[in-house]
Amino acid sequence: MTTREYCIKWGAYALALLPVWFLEAFVFSRIPLWSVTPMLLPLAAVVLAVLEGPLAGAGFGILVGMLCDMIYGSAGGMTLLLSLLGTGAGLITQFRLRQNLLGCWLCSAAALAILDGLRVLWRLVIKGISLAALLEVALPEFVWSLIFVPLIYGLFLWVHQRVPERTHF
Amino acid sequence: MRDFFHHNGILVLIIAVLLALITVVLSLLPGGRANPAANLVGVVVTPVRDGIHAVVSWVERVYSNAFEQDQKDAELEALRQELAQIRSKLREAEAIKEENEFLHSALDLREKREEYQLELASVTAYGPSNWSKTITINKGSSHGVGVDDCVVDQYWNLVGVVSEVGLNWATVTTVVDTDIELGGLIARTGGTAILEGDFSLMGEGRLKLSYLPENSELITNDIILTSGKGGVYPPNLPVGHIEEVRTDPSGMTRYAVITPETDLDNLKQVLVIQSFDIVE
Repeated sequence: MTTREYCIKWGAYALALLPVWFLEAFVFSRIPLWSVTPMLLPLAAVVLAVLEGPLAGAGFGILVGMLCDMIYGSAGGMTLLLSLLGTGAGLITQFRLRQNLLGCWLCSAAALAILDGLRVLWRLVIKGISLAALLEVALPEFVWSLIFVPLIYGLFLWVHQRVPERTHF
Repeated sequence: MRDFFHHNGILVLIIAVLLALITVVLSLLPGGRANPAANLVGVVVTPVRDGIHAVVSWVERVYSNAFEQDQKDAELEALRQELAQIRSKLREAEAIKEENEFLHSALDLREKREEYQLELASVTAYGPSNWSKTITINKGSSHGVGVDDCVVDQYWNLVGVVSEVGLNWATVTTVVDTDIELGGLIARTGGTAILEGDFSLMGEGRLKLSYLPENSELITNDIILTSGKGGVYPPNLPVGHIEEVRTDPSGMTRYAVITPETDLDNLKQVLVIQSFDIVE
């Protein structure tokens, strides 16, 4: 594998991330679905980890996490979390699940549950907000985000199938 | 390259942790000011946001012109009727104002004064998070915008408060966000209470008025203004009107559900109140 092939591959993945970012930050933020904006960027990190493995998942998780920190204003937390979730999703699909849509869906569900679980827990413990009020935000976000897994999986699979096979991890 | 990643995987994770820690520390250092990385990205991204915002606004305008003409005609007719009523009230108010000025000078009262320093800004992005309700504007510290500056729409309805400032951009936490907490004044009764965001209301674009004055008789459509107590925010900015009064799950206290006067989903331009001097 040459460095050029490697750059082309990651450039293609970065380009695939652009429409996901645009959809989340500029379309669904203006036109939410029943008052809910689906979380698409974390899904992109998980999908890539499922397709490329744990190490690539960790690296891409850092990139997506930094982007998430900027648009969600989450002060570094997403960089760390998405690199860990990318590693975890990559490891699970490498040893337990298949690298297909179902595997991706299960990993995405777990990742979203962890992300929303931490958000709920933090507000529950630190701010003392009622669990019912927090779940009113977390559950619709979880469900709506999962609905978009096939779309993001399809986009990244399309890129994955077009980069040279020897660049796959 | 493949071997590199296989042998240095742990290094990638360490870099992730370090980057996260650096971002956390940088974001905690200057209160309210964007950290250098976020500031730099904001400076670069702002023109892109402006461009995308222009395109999205154009699409919305085209759609609105094509499919919402009947609704606009009905709204125009309703506004004409409202204008006629307001003109009639204005004539009455002018007479009252003259009388008030006469009495004011007769009693030798201190003159009222309201001075605001304003900055016009365009809304370039809406925050995508479901856990907060923010907007991004295209003016920042280079235009004199600062943290805790109030932001109003063209009708002087309160939109929110500046929470983070970059060089040419700023994040505004809107009135329905759960981080918002400010003094509210019930215009009809003069009673004060606390305006605050609530997770179960934020999705519907509403907020709550809690710590209601004892024995307060609130009615639907009562206007809530900023109280201005504390001097951080200007007084008498319309925030919203009462939609209903509820009792909290404990059954001990009541709160009012407030619908903001401003249309938070369709803001194009806003005014940032950089400083104010009010003598009442």
